[in-house]
Amino acid sequence: MAFTPPLEKYAGKIREVVIGKGDKVVKLGGHNAMPGCIFDGDFPNLPKIALEVFDSAPEDWAPEAIKPYEDVVNDPVAWAKKAVDVYNAELVCLHLKSTDPNGENVGADEAAQLAKKVSDSISVPLIVLGSGNAEKDGEVAAKVCEVCAGQNLLVGLAVEDNYKKIGAAAIGYGHCVAAQSPIDVNLAKQLNILLDNLGVPLDKIVMEPSTGALGYGIEYTYSVMERIELAALSQNDDKMQLPIMNIMAVETWKTREAKLDVDAEPTFGDLSKRGILWEAMTAVDLILSGTSLLIMRHPEAVRLTKEIIEELYLGK
Amino acid sequence: MSRIILTAAIRGSHAIVNRVAKKVEEAIEKFGPDQKVELPNTGYYLPIIWGILGIPVTKLGDMPRVVEYCKNLLPPIPDEKNWLPYLGPGLDAGMATLLSYDMEEALKYLEDPLPYLPLAEDCDDEHLWLGAADDRIMRKRGVEFVDGTAPGFAAIVGAAPDNETAVKIAKELQEKNLYVFMASDHNGVNMAEQLKEEGVQLGWTTRLVPFGKDTSAAIHAMGFATRVAMAFGGVKPGDYVKILRYNKNRVFAFVMALGHVTDEWYAAAAGCINWGFPTIADSNIPQILPTGVCTYEHVVSNVPHDQIVSKAIEVRGLKIQVAKVPVPVSYGPAFEGERIGKDAMHVELAGPKAMGVEFCTSAPLDEVQDGKIELVGPDFKDMEEGSRHSLGILVTVAGRKMQEDFEPILERQIHHFLNWAEGVLHIGQRDIIWLRISKKAMEKGFSAIHFGKILHARFHSEFNNIVDKIQVNIYTEEDKVKLLLDKARTVWKERDERLAGLTDDAVDTFYSCTLCQSFAPNHVCIITPERPGLCGAYNWLDGKAAYEINPTGPNQPVKKGEVVDEKLGKWKGVDEFVYPTSHNTIQSFSAYSIMNDPMTSCGCFECITVVLPMANGVMIVDRDSTCMTPCGMTFSTLAGTVGGGLQTPGFIGMSKFYIGSKKFISADGGFKRIVWMPKALKEQLKDMLVKRSEEIGIPDFYDKIATEEDATTEEEVIEFMNKVGHPALEMEPMM
Repeated sequence: MAFTPPLEKYAGKIREVVIGKGDKVVKLGGHNAMPGCIFDGDFPNLPKIALEVFDSAPEDWAPEAIKPYEDVVNDPVAWAKKAVDVYNAELVCLHLKSTDPNGENVGADEAAQLAKKVSDSISVPLIVLGSGNAEKDGEVAAKVCEVCAGQNLLVGLAVEDNYKKIGAAAIGYGHCVAAQSPIDVNLAKQLNILLDNLGVPLDKIVMEPSTGALGYGIEYTYSVMERIELAALSQNDDKMQLPIMNIMAVETWKTREAKLDVDAEPTFGDLSKRGILWEAMTAVDLILSGTSLLIMRHPEAVRLTKEIIEELYLGK
Repeated sequence: MSRIILTAAIRGSHAIVNRVAKKVEEAIEKFGPDQKVELPNTGYYLPIIWGILGIPVTKLGDMPRVVEYCKNLLPPIPDEKNWLPYLGPGLDAGMATLLSYDMEEALKYLEDPLPYLPLAEDCDDEHLWLGAADDRIMRKRGVEFVDGTAPGFAAIVGAAPDNETAVKIAKELQEKNLYVFMASDHNGVNMAEQLKEEGVQLGWTTRLVPFGKDTSAAIHAMGFATRVAMAFGGVKPGDYVKILRYNKNRVFAFVMALGHVTDEWYAAAAGCINWGFPTIADSNIPQILPTGVCTYEHVVSNVPHDQIVSKAIEVRGLKIQVAKVPVPVSYGPAFEGERIGKDAMHVELAGPKAMGVEFCTSAPLDEVQDGKIELVGPDFKDMEEGSRHSLGILVTVAGRKMQEDFEPILERQIHHFLNWAEGVLHIGQRDIIWLRISKKAMEKGFSAIHFGKILHARFHSEFNNIVDKIQVNIYTEEDKVKLLLDKARTVWKERDERLAGLTDDAVDTFYSCTLCQSFAPNHVCIITPERPGLCGAYNWLDGKAAYEINPTGPNQPVKKGEVVDEKLGKWKGVDEFVYPTSHNTIQSFSAYSIMNDPMTSCGCFECITVVLPMANGVMIVDRDSTCMTPCGMTFSTLAGTVGGGLQTPGFIGMSKFYIGSKKFISADGGFKRIVWMPKALKEQLKDMLVKRSEEIGIPDFYDKIATEEDATTEEEVIEFMNKVGHPALEMEPMM
């Protein structure tokens, strides 16, 4: 008797979320099987990778991370262009870090103008994130939505404390929302429900489940993402059928392993490769956890990750 | 009395529709049917007609069709004697009115000179009337409607009796973050003109928007609301049901009629009811009080000017937001554990050596004045340093969804709310409170009134869904405290009795708790009146209140449904809830059995109950116990096997309260099965255990329960049981 491989059929399907407008569009999600299980279902959109750009020159980065962007770190627009034109970024993620009220406290208007400039000067869709201060992020994201009206950006991070502000502006001006919950499957669902109740269409939300780097809690991220995907696919839970994104580079590059010089820790090996590999390994783990969008930093780590994606999904 | 109102409204609508029909005819005659008509910079055509009918009016020639529609919508004017049901026809008449107004106002944009200042956000010296908002303004302001920065608007028609009152009403509405849209006139005056005379800045920036002096200009408020539903609710033009429902549920708007209510005002007000916007009037007109189309009342009249804003907010069901707790000291959870020693203390309140009482009660909405804080007796600054005083805090709340059952839950929060203030130490609740105020807090100007401010702000922000008004009375005068204490004690006694009388059989709904699914993914608690959550932190009333406060939260109502097994405590509704919520792992739950489909545990249980098969009974061990138990495992070892959402017959995690419940493993023989407990737990629960012993008719049962002093192995337990004659020995086998 011939062997028939057992197949897992799922009841549900992840919604397809479209970011961007016109000819610069990226689609996320749309799959109906667990990560990498191409024999079980369809994956119309492979995981996408965005390169990150900061609104001010980074101060504490590992030398290896700075190198590719050395000539552009003081100019976010040029940085974004380089990410796209030289490193072929599929999307750009602008971190408006200097809006942090405990830091430079740049105003929402100024930040939004920068977001518009960056968006206008690149040929790929833009993701815009704040500094991580919920209240200020709400204010900044709302302004970004207004100034970039109709461009269908992915803006965030919407959290429980500011989701109304960001959600309302995203509806009004036609954008998608990046919604972050603190590493808990029910809280992730609750935030989706809250945004849904507010009127944000569920196909305009991408979930960020809180991402830990390799060696720094990635197993928690893995568990939460797996459970979200199982709820979405096996249990056909409508409120969980949204693509997942991971803001991972920020986490990866602040680990000891990515930054510590070989003199300080001789067993760690060559620093110039270490950070890149750490980022790539984290990325691969997240792909296996079910991500649809990775926010990455180093072009070489991106190249390695893409190789794995193609091997996993296209058999190349 | 709604017959009088709706007759007037229908009469008014006939006049309006006919007037507009004539105007449209004249305009077509003058400009031709191909003449373009549009409101400035909008993609929504004439927004009411586009939203409700789905007809895009772009030129004069498109209007006769709409006029015809309005005429068909008009009901006959009700007969004086034999009148038919009137609300439906009245609403139709209102709709015809608003559709007609939409055209009447659009025609104004053909006039020369234009009576409005188009595309402007604010009025200038010469132009008071702004007319329709363009899409840019609508989007920017609409965002505030959705995110809650501005929950809605007051559409004001007419004028206040004097300028001073006008300014007061406007200020009060601004303070509630509402937009004020102004139109029409009373005796030739509009409120916007009154405000202008008083030098108040007008326009979208200050949220005081003058639309126009004709009553028809009020349509710009409705056009705005209708566009918001399409822009933010994703409602398709012509889907009138969704447009109206969106506005009823999400746009907190109301009509405020200031002055003599004409037939035309009645007609427009009837139109607004379709959107769920009630009318609040200052004049003495009939009222429409029953709830129906609007959330609560439809027309409320004869409201004095100093109460008109708070009445409008109440009738529309608007929730008040208090952004920050207004106290001179820091406020936050970080100060909850703060201690205030004798040296740092300015004054001590209540405590063991003085009287103290903290009491929360509810009252009808019209008996509570929101934000009112009253102090009777000396304030802290007038108290001698190091002295001790009695203290009484009375919180009176009112709310459309408030229930008496929520009072104790709110009352329990007073402790946390006050304790979060820096320089305030708060211990206990009810009549065992004990407070200290630090010298530092006094330096910053802390006063007894701030207790009220804290409670007012926090109750609003935490219990918004059930509480609409909060009033606080603070007493530091001995006899006043005594008075409150006596009253509170009577109520507490009643409350405790009611809680004790609350049984599983008496309710048809239980509450779930999935708070712990973050670490025990497949665990579900079902909380019943006689079996609280296993952590002991959530009883049935808590679950009920938590659901009202946060309807999407972890506590959901679970209908019991059909009884599957009365003895075991199995209901169809419970099983149907548990199965999907446990992610298809738990098929069935028994509320009253440890042997047959027992409830699962997350890991937060106060105690674990374990069957001792040879002893034919159960042992109970609590979290604080470290001793070896007769089942051969300590609490911590047991906890590892019982938690995690697993269903293990013979083991349950539970609250201490459940031990004293009549339903305690009642399917397996109940309370009489208890053979062993740690000594400390037994002593802690002595009152409850003795009471239950008496209830089951074995008054000395308490002494028949072994502790670690009597037995540490199952054999020793049996020996002890034989010695004392434990009833479990005579019972049928457990397994």
